[in-house]
Amino acid sequence: MEVGAAPPPFWAGGPAPGQTKLGSGPGKPGSGPVRGGSGCGRSPMVTGTSVLGLKFRGGVMLAADTVGSYGSLARFRGVSRLLKVNDSTVLGASGDLADFQHLRQLLEQMVIDEELLGDGHSYSPRALHSWLTRVLYSRRSKINPLWNTVLIAGVYGGHSFLGYVDMLGVAYEAPSLATGFGAYLAQPLLRAALERDRDRDRDQDQLPTREEARELLERCLRVLYYRDARSFNRYEVAVVTEKGVELEGPLTLEANWDIAHAV
Amino acid sequence: AYIANRVTDKLTPVHDRIFCCRSGSAADTQAVADAVAYQLAFHSVELEEPPRVRTAARLFQQSCYRYREELSAGIIVAGWDPRRGGQVYVVPMGGLLLRQPFAVGGSGSSYIYGFLDATFQPGMSRSQCQEFVARALALAMVRDGSSGGVIRLAAITEEGVERTVLAGSDLPWGDGGPPA
Repeated sequence: MEVGAAPPPFWAGGPAPGQTKLGSGPGKPGSGPVRGGSGCGRSPMVTGTSVLGLKFRGGVMLAADTVGSYGSLARFRGVSRLLKVNDSTVLGASGDLADFQHLRQLLEQMVIDEELLGDGHSYSPRALHSWLTRVLYSRRSKINPLWNTVLIAGVYGGHSFLGYVDMLGVAYEAPSLATGFGAYLAQPLLRAALERDRDRDRDQDQLPTREEARELLERCLRVLYYRDARSFNRYEVAVVTEKGVELEGPLTLEANWDIAHAV
Repeated sequence: AYIANRVTDKLTPVHDRIFCCRSGSAADTQAVADAVAYQLAFHSVELEEPPRVRTAARLFQQSCYRYREELSAGIIVAGWDPRRGGQVYVVPMGGLLLRQPFAVGGSGSSYIYGFLDATFQPGMSRSQCQEFVARALALAMVRDGSSGGVIRLAAITEEGVERTVLAGSDLPWGDGGPPA
């Protein structure tokens, strides 16, 4: 390659280094798009806030509120951000809800195609997590991300799974997870509970019971309702066990405002 | 800021019993609506029956999501089909698709969310709906500098579409809204 020649493209169909107009990142919704063409920084429009995930004895559960925010406006108050992928997996998404719908279409088609194979196999939660990581990382590498942070929860082959993938393709697993604001407010509460369980003299499971986990998630959602300005008091919960997926909701949180009288 | 057209018709038919309400860039929404109207016409000939409102909404969503970077379009799709009767779908900026009992969009909508939340009842009659919509629009038109002019209503039923215009003294509180 001669000196001064433009570098070859990263890969087929990808952006050429230095040739991509990087967007200024997320702008205010309604400010209108100015940039055009593929491979530019997009801004999320209608967004969902935290998703919480927690393993318990016998399975995993996810929780998320049901609001789609348009900036600071709680515009759509009946949106479901939890998706049942198949009988062993659920997915919860925060971030841009149009991108979540796109992901949902992709996943639903994948599950249908797999059913049609008729070989008795279905995607495991771990496989879906891996696939999602590749998809999201691929999109980020083309500077055209799907603006979502996603939790995948499921039970497969007797083992429970809880994983996280974000719009950069960062992926990890843990017994408790939270996206968005939840990472700051809920995760410490979830971890404290898990550590308490680990310290107690219990069976090797070291996980809360289903009821304890359910209560804990609700408590976390309440804290988030108090402290996250983009949250809402209506929520859904998805519980996955060996028996399958149960979707609860929409339910309403009761908030305690007693301290108002102390001020 | 100059008002290019003070009597714009933002209610655009995309099929016999399916309309869209356009907000955002007029050029963008007209272009997308034209494309969807074409696709629906083709689709309904193939189907040999009136297209579903949901299909029309999905077509809007496909364009609005794919070209989300280039478009400034907030669209509400509403109509009647034999399968599910009257339906309202919203495709806001970004290209999300959602079905709702009622929907609002555009800059003026910010000012009436409170009114809508307090006043909407499910199961309203046709005339109650028309009054609800007219009052909501009138309130938005008073407060939003980017809104105004006339109110255009289109009532879509199995029998057909009935279009009305409320102008000047026809508006719920007359020209100028509720007393200051």
